[in-house]
Amino acid sequence: MRVVVTGMGIVSPIGIGVDQFWNAAINGVSGISSIQSFDASNQHSRIAGEINEFNPACFLSAKQVTQTDRFTQLALHAANQAMADAGGLDNYQPRRLAVSLGSGMGGFSTFESSATRKLQNKSIPPFSVPRIMANSAAAWIATQFGLKGVNLTCSTACSSGANAIGMALDLLRSGKADAVVTGGAEACVLPLTMTGFEALQALSINFNADPVRASRPFAQGRDGFVMGEGAGILILEKEEEAIKRGARMYAQLAGYGCACDATHIVAPDMDGQVAAMQAAIDDAGIMPDQVDYINAHATSTPLGDVIETNAIKQLLGEHAWEIAISATKSMVGHSIGASAAIGSIATIMSLHTGTIHPTINLDVADPQCDLNYTPNRAIQKKVQVGMCNAFGFGGNNASLVFTTL
Amino acid sequence: MDIAELETKVIEFIASKAEKVDASNITNASRLEDLGFDSLDTVQLLFDAEEAFGVNFDGEEVRGLRSVGDIIDYITRHPPTASS
Repeated sequence: MRVVVTGMGIVSPIGIGVDQFWNAAINGVSGISSIQSFDASNQHSRIAGEINEFNPACFLSAKQVTQTDRFTQLALHAANQAMADAGGLDNYQPRRLAVSLGSGMGGFSTFESSATRKLQNKSIPPFSVPRIMANSAAAWIATQFGLKGVNLTCSTACSSGANAIGMALDLLRSGKADAVVTGGAEACVLPLTMTGFEALQALSINFNADPVRASRPFAQGRDGFVMGEGAGILILEKEEEAIKRGARMYAQLAGYGCACDATHIVAPDMDGQVAAMQAAIDDAGIMPDQVDYINAHATSTPLGDVIETNAIKQLLGEHAWEIAISATKSMVGHSIGASAAIGSIATIMSLHTGTIHPTINLDVADPQCDLNYTPNRAIQKKVQVGMCNAFGFGGNNASLVFTTL
Repeated sequence: MDIAELETKVIEFIASKAEKVDASNITNASRLEDLGFDSLDTVQLLFDAEEAFGVNFDGEEVRGLRSVGDIIDYITRHPPTASS
């Protein structure tokens, strides 16, 4: 049984909607700028990939806006697009329609604002808890579209979105659902969240005066990741059902693999990354030398990009130098639980259009990063097998394999 | 603020939060439930009213507020808080 992607929606720092996002991505547009949403003058990292044009009142009532955190609002907007793109799922029984969503932090914007009020001995908004809870976005998507089947939320830090999409694949294969709305959402360009990552020395701090150059995966001079936000949503269905209802099919989701480092709570480990990629390839029933393209996790941290490079070499051997790799985060920053959903959309668009978006800010590569990362300019290349990587805190590694139909 | 002025302001405030009710149709006797506020809408209304009127809606007594008049009465009996 094959599982196919029949709809996509995205809210990102370089565009709302797949067309706007992809046009910006293939043109190497950066969505990184000085933080607008709060006074960041006390932060070490004062830049982020924010979605400044986003207005939830355009698609939610005033009451719904009050009852939802920003991560849910981003997810709902992407889900609206994806559902429209798929032409709706009215052919299916509501109890057979599932949601599988990823978010690393959940409603942390509400958590921070409510905690601030509580510490000032003020009352907090009555919808604080249902806004904060990690499954809020999945529940709202279900409610908006009447999706009455399985409703799951995966929270595995930076790999949340990939695991959520993988779980959706498993739901379809196991017969627990006929169609799944899946992806990831995150909205954590926030003072406490960013201070937390700053304390780990994980964020870029040397490019506050030149934000567009800050997120520079694989490049010399990179000094940490740039916080981002966004949401990416896919509609997955069984191929035969999608054909029956005449749906447009972008690609096949052919494989999902995950593996835990079980070594360190935050430091990446090559073996776990190799294991996840290998598991995804095995699950897809292909050979490693069939991989044409990898949408790398590539957050722009000094250590992480080298380890992922080594993991790809370990997995593919000589073939590692023959494939194209690119880092979507060079343009949008790191949107944690949404990042792999956004990376998956980039991977699917590469399969669908034959264009691979560039890794920007890659003028001089780190000597330890010596693969083809598609520096600075998009390339035309027929891609039949694309893999999207996501590696999260907790040693949580997940990879997805998409193929042409 | 005298009581008549307070009544007008509370009614206008509630009308601004109600989805389908005009201020001219709201009186002191109007029950919040009849204006479209379920129990969760009511706690949200009271939370928003804290900012608007500088009063903390807190404690057991708040759970008994059912009508527009109840809210006006509560505000008159509780002085504005410094933190609001």
